[in-house]
Amino acid sequence: MAKLESPRYTFLFATAVCVVCALMVSVAAVSLQPRQKASARLYMEKNVLIAAGLAKPGQDVEIGEVEKYFEKDIKARLVDLATGELLPEGKVDARAYDQRAARRDPGTSRAAPPNNAGIGRLPKYGVAYFVMKGGQVEQVVIAIEGLGMWGTVYGFLALDRDGITVRGLTYYDQKETPGLGGEIGNPAWQALWKGRHAYDSAGLPAIVVIKGQAGPPDKDPFRVDGMSGATITSNAITRLTRFWLSDDGYGKFLKRFREKGLA
Amino acid sequence: MSALERLLEMAGRPFGPGKPLHRFHALFEAADTFALTPPSVTKGSTHVRDALDLKRMMMLVVIALMPCIFMAMYNTGLQANLGIDPAKIASLEGWRHDVMRFAGMGYSPESVVACIFHGSLYFLPLYILTMAVGGTWEVLFAIVRRHEVNEGFFVTGMLFPLICPPTLPLWEAALGISFGVVVAKEVFGGTGMNFVNPALAARAFVFFAYPGDISGDQVWAAVAPAAAIDGYSGATLLGQMRQMTTPFDEQGLSWWNAFIGLEKGSLGETSALACLLGAIFLVVTRVGSWRTMVGCVAGTAAMAILLNAIGSATNPWFAVPFWWHMVLGGWAFGVAFMATDPVTSPFAETGKLIYGFLIGALVVLIRVVNPAYPEAMMLVILFMNVMAPLIDYFFVKANIDRRKRRGGGHGEA
Amino acid sequence: MNKHNREALLGPLLANNPIGVQVLGICSALAVTTRIDKALVMTAGVLVVTLLANVAVSLVRNHTPGSIRIIVQLSIIASLVIVFDQILKATLYELSLELSVFVGLIITNCIVMGRAEGYAMQNPPLASALDGIGNGLGYGLVLVLTGFIRELLGAGKVFGFVVLPLAKDGGWYVPNGMMLLAPSALFIIAGLIWLLKTVKPELQDKE
Repeated sequence: MAKLESPRYTFLFATAVCVVCALMVSVAAVSLQPRQKASARLYMEKNVLIAAGLAKPGQDVEIGEVEKYFEKDIKARLVDLATGELLPEGKVDARAYDQRAARRDPGTSRAAPPNNAGIGRLPKYGVAYFVMKGGQVEQVVIAIEGLGMWGTVYGFLALDRDGITVRGLTYYDQKETPGLGGEIGNPAWQALWKGRHAYDSAGLPAIVVIKGQAGPPDKDPFRVDGMSGATITSNAITRLTRFWLSDDGYGKFLKRFREKGLA
Repeated sequence: MSALERLLEMAGRPFGPGKPLHRFHALFEAADTFALTPPSVTKGSTHVRDALDLKRMMMLVVIALMPCIFMAMYNTGLQANLGIDPAKIASLEGWRHDVMRFAGMGYSPESVVACIFHGSLYFLPLYILTMAVGGTWEVLFAIVRRHEVNEGFFVTGMLFPLICPPTLPLWEAALGISFGVVVAKEVFGGTGMNFVNPALAARAFVFFAYPGDISGDQVWAAVAPAAAIDGYSGATLLGQMRQMTTPFDEQGLSWWNAFIGLEKGSLGETSALACLLGAIFLVVTRVGSWRTMVGCVAGTAAMAILLNAIGSATNPWFAVPFWWHMVLGGWAFGVAFMATDPVTSPFAETGKLIYGFLIGALVVLIRVVNPAYPEAMMLVILFMNVMAPLIDYFFVKANIDRRKRRGGGHGEA
Repeated sequence: MNKHNREALLGPLLANNPIGVQVLGICSALAVTTRIDKALVMTAGVLVVTLLANVAVSLVRNHTPGSIRIIVQLSIIASLVIVFDQILKATLYELSLELSVFVGLIITNCIVMGRAEGYAMQNPPLASALDGIGNGLGYGLVLVLTGFIRELLGAGKVFGFVVLPLAKDGGWYVPNGMMLLAPSALFIIAGLIWLLKTVKPELQDKE
């Protein structure tokens, strides 16, 4: 036992353990990184499909199917949020762009202007997905996020090619109270957004989650049914959706898109 | 010997020691002592920490609750009748409305009798069910543990329906009270051993398990949306104030209305006046601790004044004065009947002041600052229930230290 | 399989269950049991890590200096957990998001550390491996049971399949929202412990 307790042996043993462990961890991390990135992207893109109504929530979508969509019918592009201009294709791989990471990095983000959506930093570029059909834009999907009642809510909002009508919505990461505010994750509630108008005739964000029930979209275009017992979450959703529709968010881009299309 | 006594004695024989039904002695005992004063009355403490004859306390608390029960029936009926559009009465469905029609009561908000009748159709089923379900658990545990069914549940069974919204589905109430009795009380040893208030634990269970049926706007008055008057809102006063966007002074709300309690809310909680009457009765009969109540009032006032002074440009709640806090939500009911529960408050007399003070202060703090829980009374009292032994611990320790010092440092702890 | 090894494998399932009897690993049990699939993945993580950590610690047990043995065990456990976490992120990304920090926190799971220090340091690799599997399964048994109850009562589902159709989707079942909050796991696990100690009275604490 004396040998085991000598400082020299202890030091050598510790070094050996460290080397073996470090090797194990780094091999795993390096070799798995491409697959992790692919998984993370697949997850986001699956949710884009859900927002655009091309996949059903909860349904398992094969990796190949998502790929097929994104190779053919869906174009991911980056938007300069400050100017509303699209970045030229091919400059940055928009599909690999991580908006959450970009927002955290001081080099690719800036402090958000004062807002009531709980958004502290804004990425320089926001991602936008164009759902194409026969060479024409059918829908445009934007990423939204903001403070809910218990934490940040992340989702995608799909607008029609008119840039006004909501085509779909999904929240893929939220921690609202199950049964109350957590209903924002319920596809039945998300479906209530379909056909409503994001902007009023003056081009200002007008969509609002109200308390109680709204009428059908054609008669009551700007209002969405509130979730019973979840006023705070409902109001937060209104604020964060309007923020991303405003000129601080994708507003400038959507305005250009309404006027000039993809050009 | 009266006929009743003879009957009970005869019926009691098979339950005696060694007899076939001895296992169920608790059931017989409950019926027996309910009808007659038992020959063996409680001596010494029945609670772990409280020497109070349980029967006396039970009766006094129930008497103290009478004003609240009256208001529960009257106001529930009144709020329902006010909200129902007379033109749409025919569309009302359900057994309650069948009974209403059968009795020919009508839905007039002016008629006190009609209101009480309508309200009792909400209160009584909830009460009877609570007593039946909670009582069944009590008897089951009494049989398994071979002790007598005690009367503590009468109070819990009375308190629980009063803190529920009138429209609470009965099966949810049954689950709630089962949780309150079994998990909050019986697993810790039964009456007197519980460390949180069983009625509040029962409500907390329903609050977290079925939030849609115990929060929001639809549950506080028994008005079916199809039969509601135009522009009807089921929001409680607290709920309305939660929506304030303009300064509090501009709301034009009537404090006296809120005090008397002709508002929407949990069955027995709306009337601060009824709770005040009950509180006075409890203090006079020494069943409820005046220290706890005074502590709550002081804590509420202190925190509200502090927040008034701090002020806020965006949150109008900061400006709500303390006399308003005391008539909103479950404050008055909680202070009078929940915080004063002797089993779950601290034992030390000065400790009760501190306990009450913290309840009052925390309620105001949460109401004003935390938007997630417009009504904080239930959770705050449960929280302070858990803290009560800690308060006692510090008082006992302080006492020991003081005696040690007096004895020149040679005292034995 | 001799008696010693059988005991190492089967003991932790009931008689010496890490959660039910030793009351270890509770924190993760509260967080990851809202659904059975989450409970299963967490079980897999703990099982694999306990198994491999036990084997590794047991292999070097006669060469480990006593003065640094805890840190050696921790390094081994931490490395294994990181590898498991990386694999999970690469393969089951959605689940890894929902399990979030709790996979990483297997490092601090008392069961893993306890078995390495309490068993693997004194026993040969085979017995240690069986002990690791046994403890992983014992942990998983409680986790999956809790997950089953919570998913069924909280969402009306088992393994994501609708068993009790929800009232809001046209069925009859009104889900119990508390089952989706962490405290419910505390009640369920307490109930399971109660049950276990009633079935096996020899496990009850002596007064």
